[in-house]
Amino acid sequence: MAQLSDITNAAIRREIEDFLERPEEIARTVELFARVSPLMQEIAAALIEGDNGAVDRLTVQALDQSVEALEIMDDGLIAGMGIVGIKFRESFIFVPEVLACARAMKAGMAHIEPILSAAGVEPIATVIMGTVKGDLHDIGKNLCIMMLRGAGFEVIDLGVDTSDDAFIEDVEKHCSPILGMSALLTTTMPNMGKTIEALIDADLRDEVQIMVGGAPVTQEFADDMGADGYGKDALDCVALAKRLAEAAG
Amino acid sequence: MTTEAVGPMTSRARVLAALRREPVDRTPVCNPTSVATVELMDLVDAPFPLANRDPELMARLAATSYTELGFDSIMPVFSIIQESSALGCNMQWEQKDNWPTVRMSEPIWRDADDIRIPNDFLLHPDMVCVLDAIRILKKRFGDEVAIIGKTMGPWTLGYHCFGVEAFLLMSLDDPGKTKLCLDRMKEATLQFGLAQIEAGADALTLPDHATGDLVSGEYYARYLKDLHVEFAERLPVPLILHICGRTIDRMDYIAQTGMAAFHFDSKNAPDESMTVMHDRIALVGNINNPETLFAKGPEVVRQEVLKNLEAGVQLVGPECAIPLQTSIENLLEISQTVREWHGARGRAH
Repeated sequence: MAQLSDITNAAIRREIEDFLERPEEIARTVELFARVSPLMQEIAAALIEGDNGAVDRLTVQALDQSVEALEIMDDGLIAGMGIVGIKFRESFIFVPEVLACARAMKAGMAHIEPILSAAGVEPIATVIMGTVKGDLHDIGKNLCIMMLRGAGFEVIDLGVDTSDDAFIEDVEKHCSPILGMSALLTTTMPNMGKTIEALIDADLRDEVQIMVGGAPVTQEFADDMGADGYGKDALDCVALAKRLAEAAG
Repeated sequence: MTTEAVGPMTSRARVLAALRREPVDRTPVCNPTSVATVELMDLVDAPFPLANRDPELMARLAATSYTELGFDSIMPVFSIIQESSALGCNMQWEQKDNWPTVRMSEPIWRDADDIRIPNDFLLHPDMVCVLDAIRILKKRFGDEVAIIGKTMGPWTLGYHCFGVEAFLLMSLDDPGKTKLCLDRMKEATLQFGLAQIEAGADALTLPDHATGDLVSGEYYARYLKDLHVEFAERLPVPLILHICGRTIDRMDYIAQTGMAAFHFDSKNAPDESMTVMHDRIALVGNINNPETLFAKGPEVVRQEVLKNLEAGVQLVGPECAIPLQTSIENLLEISQTVREWHGARGRAH
């Protein structure tokens, strides 16, 4: 079993010591970072710091050293976002800090995505994402999309203020997709239920797995609305999407 | 909480006394954000989006909180977008069953130097609508019921005018510039607040969405506490600060602002919130909207009202602007439960 001291990067060690509390998460994170190269640790540390300039530079450096794009994404960028997600979940950091980390991740992904696209990597599943009708907030949705894409999903982003018809149109277009709906306002949350009803009316409910999320949304509300799952944050969203994709076969 | 005997009060006197944390004949029922619903729109023929833009319709729909629901206050400003419209934001006025909203993906400002409060800010039709609606309500109800106005705080205006993501990133990247922006935007808050007071508002709600779902309690202290102190000093009516979401970590700061009340969300337990506030500021709230008022029946509403009454929350009502599809039956249950609770106890609050 790997030890904290096996991780060469002091900043990553500090992050684990200061912010991770659950034993299984500590063990998994130590195992991960003890395995990856010092350069990947450095990319992850820069991402956690929200330093987009450093992530940009280090990603280019890694590619120049012939490190695989997939390795940079998994062992540097996504590994870093894993710690960011835990810090957000535990309220050590808030949305501005997460946005800075996301900006750093985007700086790295700008170099990685074209390489992965050209390689034609098969996605795990297709996820259709949109903020519900009447709601123009998209920070949470965009973070989820970034993490889903990083985790290997193809994501169709319908943007904000998404009508039932727009959701239905894209569900019809794609085979057995996952549908993700987001809402930030308690006043617009009921529109999740209206969209699910519209899918039932269109005879499409059984064709799609539905996940919902957003700051005011809860598991109870998701159940009441008839969703298949609820994701508390972007990390949860990815784990949920993987479960739903498996369930859909 | 006090148990001394208090004679019958008008709704207005009840609300204003509760905001001062003085004895009342019973706990006032109040929503300082909005109780507009589709059912109420139909009842008085004052539908969205017109009821957000026509003073007579705005006043007519707002009055239903008092005339139909038995609340002790009237709030004519249903949304949070009037000022942003007047500042030049692109708007989506929506239809009857959806809230009007600001297109925040189309920001109008990028820098502190872009901030301009137009000279004719208060003459914009969406501002005039609110001011005229308050005058209509004041004329119609006099001193019978509390007319509450609403002026948006600079943090919320920042979301609308800069875009949420850009504004939050600026707050991290350049705290000095962020403070300068907030200081410039506060003029809009003050101008609209003072105009509503002049039009007859008895109190003002001041939404400023530095919610725990987005930013830390330390952020509130760093960026907003002093500005909120200034608002409490310069706007000469009781102010009700509204922040959605988890706020327990900033309630101690909020209690130090001099605001009369804090409108709190159901994510914060009433008894714990009362303990933190420690009689330094009144609380208004906090019946859950999406899971209770929208999705459950009167019995669950009743339980939440009782939880607030037992905790000593000074003004009871929904946690925020209620979903437009909320039933009248559930809203009636709030005032009915409050009256029954006081009736059964035969005591003042």
